[in-house]
Amino acid sequence: MPYLGSEDVVKELKKALCNPHIQADRLRYRNVIQRVIRHMTQGLDMSGVFMEMVKASATVDIVQKKLVYLYMCTYAPLKPDLALLAINTLCKDCSDPNPMVRGLALRSMCSLRMPGVQEYIQQPILNGLRDKASYVRRVAVLGCAKMHNLHGDSEVDGALVNELYSLLRDQDPIVVVNCLRSLEEILRQEGGVVINKPIAHHLLNRMPKLDQWGQAEVLNFLLRYEPRSEEELFDILNLLDSFLKSSSPGVVMGATKLFLILAKKFPHVQTDVLVQVKGPLLAACSSESRELCFAALCHVRQILHSLPGHFSSHYKKFFCSYSEPHYIKLQKVEVLCELVNDENVQQVLEELRGYCTDVSADFAQAAIFAIGGIARTYTDQCVQILTELLGLRQEHITTVVVQTFRDLVWLCPQCTEAVCQALPGCEENIQDSEGKQALIWLLGVHGERIPNAPYVLEDFVENVKSETFPAVTMELLTALLRLFLSRPAECQDTLGRLLHYCIEEEKNMAVRDRGLFYYRLLLAGIDEVKRILCSPKSDPSLGLLEDQAERPVNSWASDFNTLVPVYGKARWATISKYQGAEHRGPELPDTASFATSGPLIPEENKERVQELPDSGALVLVPNCQLTAEYFEKTWFSLKVAHQQVFPWRGAVHPDTLQMALQVVNIQTIAMSRAGAHPWKAYLSAQDDTGCLFLTELLLESENSEMQISVKQNEPRTETLNSFISVLETVFGTIGDIKS
Amino acid sequence: MIHSLFLINCSGDIFLEKHWKSVVSQSVCDYFFEAQEKAADVENVPPVISTPHHYLISIYRDKLFFVSVIQTEVPPLFVIEFLHRVADTFQDYFGECSEAAIKDNVVIVYELLEEMLDNGFPLATESNILKELIKPPTILRSVVNSITGSSNVGDTLPTGQLSNIPWRRAGVKYTNNEAYFDVVEEIDAIIDKSDDVSFHPCIRFKRWESERVLSFIPPDGNFRLISYRVSSQNLVAIPVYVKHCISFKENSSCGRFDITIGPKQNMGKTIEGITVTVHMPKVVLNMNLTPTQGSYTFDPVTKVLTWDVGKITPQKLPSLKGLVNLQSGAPKPEENPSLNIQFKIQQLAISGLKVNRLDMYGEKYKPFKGVKYVTKAGKFQVRT
Repeated sequence: MPYLGSEDVVKELKKALCNPHIQADRLRYRNVIQRVIRHMTQGLDMSGVFMEMVKASATVDIVQKKLVYLYMCTYAPLKPDLALLAINTLCKDCSDPNPMVRGLALRSMCSLRMPGVQEYIQQPILNGLRDKASYVRRVAVLGCAKMHNLHGDSEVDGALVNELYSLLRDQDPIVVVNCLRSLEEILRQEGGVVINKPIAHHLLNRMPKLDQWGQAEVLNFLLRYEPRSEEELFDILNLLDSFLKSSSPGVVMGATKLFLILAKKFPHVQTDVLVQVKGPLLAACSSESRELCFAALCHVRQILHSLPGHFSSHYKKFFCSYSEPHYIKLQKVEVLCELVNDENVQQVLEELRGYCTDVSADFAQAAIFAIGGIARTYTDQCVQILTELLGLRQEHITTVVVQTFRDLVWLCPQCTEAVCQALPGCEENIQDSEGKQALIWLLGVHGERIPNAPYVLEDFVENVKSETFPAVTMELLTALLRLFLSRPAECQDTLGRLLHYCIEEEKNMAVRDRGLFYYRLLLAGIDEVKRILCSPKSDPSLGLLEDQAERPVNSWASDFNTLVPVYGKARWATISKYQGAEHRGPELPDTASFATSGPLIPEENKERVQELPDSGALVLVPNCQLTAEYFEKTWFSLKVAHQQVFPWRGAVHPDTLQMALQVVNIQTIAMSRAGAHPWKAYLSAQDDTGCLFLTELLLESENSEMQISVKQNEPRTETLNSFISVLETVFGTIGDIKS
Repeated sequence: MIHSLFLINCSGDIFLEKHWKSVVSQSVCDYFFEAQEKAADVENVPPVISTPHHYLISIYRDKLFFVSVIQTEVPPLFVIEFLHRVADTFQDYFGECSEAAIKDNVVIVYELLEEMLDNGFPLATESNILKELIKPPTILRSVVNSITGSSNVGDTLPTGQLSNIPWRRAGVKYTNNEAYFDVVEEIDAIIDKSDDVSFHPCIRFKRWESERVLSFIPPDGNFRLISYRVSSQNLVAIPVYVKHCISFKENSSCGRFDITIGPKQNMGKTIEGITVTVHMPKVVLNMNLTPTQGSYTFDPVTKVLTWDVGKITPQKLPSLKGLVNLQSGAPKPEENPSLNIQFKIQQLAISGLKVNRLDMYGEKYKPFKGVKYVTKAGKFQVRT
């Protein structure tokens, strides 16, 4: 067929549609209409034949009717005045003796999406709600929602809503589910459809009759029902039991979530449920559909946050096969990393080691990072594997191994010796900025244990002119100065050359300034340099922050079976923030912009803060300095005395918070860096009677809540309450600054 | 729930779109193409992608992407399952779920999509109910239709719509009544420790729990009644074994490759449809092999070796041996590749599971009944 532009096609089709000979021949007429639809589906603009198509709707042929309706729904918004002509035919069809025609006509009418159509569809919808054919009722019920959307959400028609609520008792299961869907859209402004006790139990009883989609959605609606008594709660759980064994993973997940939410006060019931769905979840993880596998794996990871041992005996299920897509492999590696224990660590590490030489560099690097994660617990074995990987002399492997080493010596100082022995020779296989920075940092901080460290750094200095990453040069400056402190003879000359280069030749201002700063610092004397640069070489307490400590099921139950586990909570918050404006629901307030300049605590607030210690019976003593080790030991030996959430918007600015807490004599033991997710902090304080308050702050993501757990070494409710109110005021004050 | 659906082929053409609420511009798919480009291989496109105003949830089936556009928070598994159901329906209607089949039947595709979703919510998705609403195309029917001018649409309301059992329409009448059970077992080489079962909603769960009897009103047509997993302790034996010797010499540009496949304990049944795929290391340039039976191919770009073996005759075990050419100067591969094996054994359920009785109640006629067993390789990997 010769290629025709869309205009020629429209012209030709228009002629054919008007041709009385073709109109007389049913088959030919329908064929022309089919061609119009075909072009329409390919994205060609077929609105030019609207008039002719409207005429074609007056037919007894259902296929033809269907096609014309389909066409009209697509182009009605473009040709509203012409579409009104079609409404007559549609209205007539809404009272056709054939229920299929009635349904079709009603559905099409409701989908016209053009202004002014509301007044025509209202009566047919109301008739449809009382139609004797369930097919028509299903269409009419959803039509109510479409009609409401056409009105632009202005007002809710109370009578219609009542009618829909009463149709929840319809004998057709799909009508019931459609009523829920429709009410949810119509009542969105008021928080959606209300699930009271009679409705909840009615729905529960109808559950077995619904198809899998209906079941999944009803399970979701039931989340908003709160049983009145424990007895009722367990009755409901019994009714739900069989859905945990459904063949549809969507229903299984829906039922699991409902269980977890309903049983929020019964942790052992929650654990039981997670044990019950272990099988179905594992089956989904090896499902034929790769997308299902992926979604299931994301949920497995979520469960592992609370029950780290839950899937440990099934670790082999999470071994990757080469034909699997990337996103599944990456999830599996994460899962393996989290379920590792004393029994399976050997096999898991062996498996991960195999992935490190995968053809895909991304996957190989993910596997290396995973081994680095496991190294925090099983240090020796992992360091050995990582060292062996260096022997492969592959650039993409070496760089990641060195980065892993850097993080590892910081958290697990006991492996420093082994790492230092592995490092020589690495410099030949590192080209990227991240890898170079990691290597240079290691050489600077632990250079006294690496015989050739000064010479490796010297090589970097030799080539500094051709260095493209300013961050590497900065790191080099710091490292060389540090090493100079422990091995002055070998470094002095090189350091001199580097400083000279940075000050005299370097174009990047930040590098130049750093060079000048170090130069002046050296002029101030070696003791001053030591005071500034000799910071601790490791910080095992950071491990406490990064710790995958068991989180309560309730902290993620509400995210289960949503997109949160797929994206991670932090990323999800960012995404939904964008989308907030799109939703018709209650608008999210804009994230408060954060003022970084100006005084951190305005004068009037400062006064408020300082008044605090006197406000209650509680007097916190200043300078209660606990060591991280002591804090960790005490923290794990005590039970949580109080848990609370404070509303929180935006990111935490650790400096501000730390300063504000210091003002009220609360010391910060450890704190995540700004922007980390989840963000954590550990605080300690002591009152004048010697009672210790240990506090954990946890912010899962931006725009959520700050979770606070307080432990106390002497059970005293009064002082505890005062302590909480102190915290509350501090957070309130910081909130004030931000908004 | 599901706002729009786009069908996209491997070369990135959007060849079909359908909108259930307002029209979403095709440009939303640019985010999908971006992800596709980033993923390098089409297989690696992540199933969930976020864009500033929508989420795209997609599945990849038979070289086609089904990309759905979502505007509100949804349970991801629900959408993924639904998209697979759409693809299954196309497969069921047109015999294959390909771009050509969908384009040839574009009108039926639209009719189907119209019935499967309304206002973005799943409505009729069961094959037997859909077939009442929209008749599948057959060669005979299209001939008959063109003579009589009758349509592909049932002109009476489907009776199934009034049935209270969603998976079966009321008043089904056939001249032959048949109930066939296929027991299909798949072996995963890494086998799990516990047994698990999941059921089609038609099964009366309470009766299964109390009497261990599967009692149900059967859906009309093909369906999955139960799926189960069997632990390794209960497994009789892995039916095939592989003898392998793959070696690469240090500082040399060649290696040796030799694999032989044999039946282990197969209870007198033939193992057939055997294919071996091996993902060779990057440094392999070419392979020069001789199979004793079947044929082999090696793709030097993807480094995938495929050996189509056919069936095993115990008298002469199939083997594939020869030389591997390596990139000269490159270090010898660190790991030996794993072998992925596909096979099928007819008339055998490896777990020993048998259908004990098949009774039908409530009908006067005598239906044909039958049970067929097949064992297949699932994810069967041999590490060398």
